[in-house]
Amino acid sequence: MTARRLLGAYVAVVMLFLALPIAVVIPSAFGEGNALAFPPQGFSLKWFAAILERPALLAAAANSAAIAAVATGVSLVVGTLSAFALRRYAFPGRGALMALFMAPLVFPAIVLAAAIAMVLAPMGLVRNFWGLVLAHIVVVLPYVVRTVSATLAEVDRAWEEAALTLGASPWRGFTSVTLPLLRPGLVAGATFSLIISFDEFTISLFLVGSGMMTLPIEMYNYAEYSLDPVLAAVSTLLILLTTAAVLAVERTVGLGKQFS
Amino acid sequence: MNAKGVALLGVAKWYGKVPAVQGVDLEVAPGEMVSLLGPSGCGKTTTLRMIAGLEVPDAGEIRIGGTRANEVPPWRRNIGMVFQNYALFPHKTVAENIGYGLVMRRRPRAEIATRVADAMRQVRLEGLEDRIPSQLSGGQRQRVALARALVTRPDVLLFDEPLAALDRKLREQMQVEIRLLQREVGITTIFVTHDQDEALTLSDRIVVMEEGRIVQAGTPDEIYERPRSHFVSDFIGMMNAMRGTATGQGAGGLLVRLAGGRELAVPEAAAATGSAVEIMLRPEKVQVNPPQAEGLVLAQGRVAHIVYLGAVTYLHVTVEGGATMLAMQANGQGMPAPRLGDAVTLGWRAADMVCFAAP
Ligand SMILES: Nc1ncnc2c1ncn2[C@@H]1O[C@H](COP(=O)(O)OP(=O)(O)OP(=O)(O)O)[C@@H](O)[C@H]1O
Ligand SMILES: [Mg+2]
Repeated sequence: MTARRLLGAYVAVVMLFLALPIAVVIPSAFGEGNALAFPPQGFSLKWFAAILERPALLAAAANSAAIAAVATGVSLVVGTLSAFALRRYAFPGRGALMALFMAPLVFPAIVLAAAIAMVLAPMGLVRNFWGLVLAHIVVVLPYVVRTVSATLAEVDRAWEEAALTLGASPWRGFTSVTLPLLRPGLVAGATFSLIISFDEFTISLFLVGSGMMTLPIEMYNYAEYSLDPVLAAVSTLLILLTTAAVLAVERTVGLGKQFS
Repeated sequence: MNAKGVALLGVAKWYGKVPAVQGVDLEVAPGEMVSLLGPSGCGKTTTLRMIAGLEVPDAGEIRIGGTRANEVPPWRRNIGMVFQNYALFPHKTVAENIGYGLVMRRRPRAEIATRVADAMRQVRLEGLEDRIPSQLSGGQRQRVALARALVTRPDVLLFDEPLAALDRKLREQMQVEIRLLQREVGITTIFVTHDQDEALTLSDRIVVMEEGRIVQAGTPDEIYERPRSHFVSDFIGMMNAMRGTATGQGAGGLLVRLAGGRELAVPEAAAATGSAVEIMLRPEKVQVNPPQAEGLVLAQGRVAHIVYLGAVTYLHVTVEGGATMLAMQANGQGMPAPRLGDAVTLGWRAADMVCFAAP
């Protein structure tokens, strides 16, 4: 019994620790003072309105959204087809390819960042929207391959074969049988991909420049010369957005399953 | 009906270095129902999948309707297949599952609706069109799979142990239903099973396989009454096996000297003199205390064990020489039931014995 209580207390402390930054940042966004302060003084929504007067932040947010959307779209297509090939066909080098897809998950981000910058720079893809998209694809693709491939493991080959014997070409069988059954994996993969791309910092840092900023880096720059609660307001919006997305996924397909 | 025959000519398939099917020759006539029967791993599924086009043979030729089909992909073969666990699409309703093949054939919507409704009536599934497979019982899923395979009017219908997951009663009922439906539709059918009763119930012809080869093919009674090897007779029912040596042809047939010293004449049998042979006799051919002993081969013995199974009783009888013979008696025929330890006379007709090389 005491052991259980100890465990409960431990969990509570850890949760508190994890939630503390959020607990600090959200109230700070609603303060009246001009400096980022905790606990905040008074209550106002003016810092949210102030975001609209920071064109650099807005432009960076738009860039980040566009990069996340394109990188996610490409990763969904490429990742689904890759997961399918890796799961369904035995071919030489399959294991190596699978490891390659997963490599960005285990590589130090800074190493990956330097490597990507070295590849993209000579191609003129630095300070370039498509350069950032490419880099983000490298980062998010493993997540899509992983979630789709976990879902694919539950799609019985016999269903696909039944479709073939019923007159479906492999492509029609894939679109009418496999793809609908992959939906939970696709939704989860897309959500991860969007969140991770939107939040990506290290690699983007090597690729951004004037005229092509992403939101996290713009926020970092902003913090360097001004610590007003606009940052807290932006962070609050991001927290809300992320939470809403994760809850929506949890509701529709069950996120817990994606980690089992 | 558009039934087409199927022919396999020297078909072989390896999985890496494992030979799964090694040189199968088989001809299935239009409208015929043939079972592939054999123990686990003998290559039944592989053979069926090659006919479906899901596996490509490494050697030999597969013909459907007289033309070579080796290079034809499954979706152009116009076959229907019922999978072992039915393989119903879990995200589609019963009606969508059944209609899938028609949608793939791009039939008009109205035609699909009527044909699906007809098929559902045929397999007695009316009212379940909007259920999804997980809301169905095993027998209902079986029927959906059957309707889905039949609704496209395929040239050939293939089954891979479709009844293995059902309980015994339902299985027997489905066997009869499948057989009646197959006759009604007149479709060429190949049915894989490792259950001998299923093969006997369902087939025009049974093909017994062992280690990737066909060891015997014939009508159910041929396979049961005249097996050509120990493997076939043992696989398809119970048997008395008497080992001996062929000593030449006599007036009553092949003379066989049994291990105990007795000599029996087996009609219509042949074996090289001096070769080791086995005489096979089905338990139901052995009469216990036969009222008419004339013309029968007789053996005296003592009842050592009794297995009562309701409709029939099996008697294990120790005969002269110490061998045990199995006799099956139908119950309810007014025959006095022997008791444990009773002395009995066993009698059988010489023509009921089958002789082949000893394994
Ligand atoms: N995909 C595969 N990869 C490797 N070996 C296989 C494969 N499928 C079948 N085999 C092997 O081929 C042989 C024949 O298999 P098959 O599935 O045709 O047997 P079966 O008669 O259907 O058996 P069961 O009654 O158990 O279903 C077996 O030795 C099996 O291990
Ligand atoms: Mg099998």
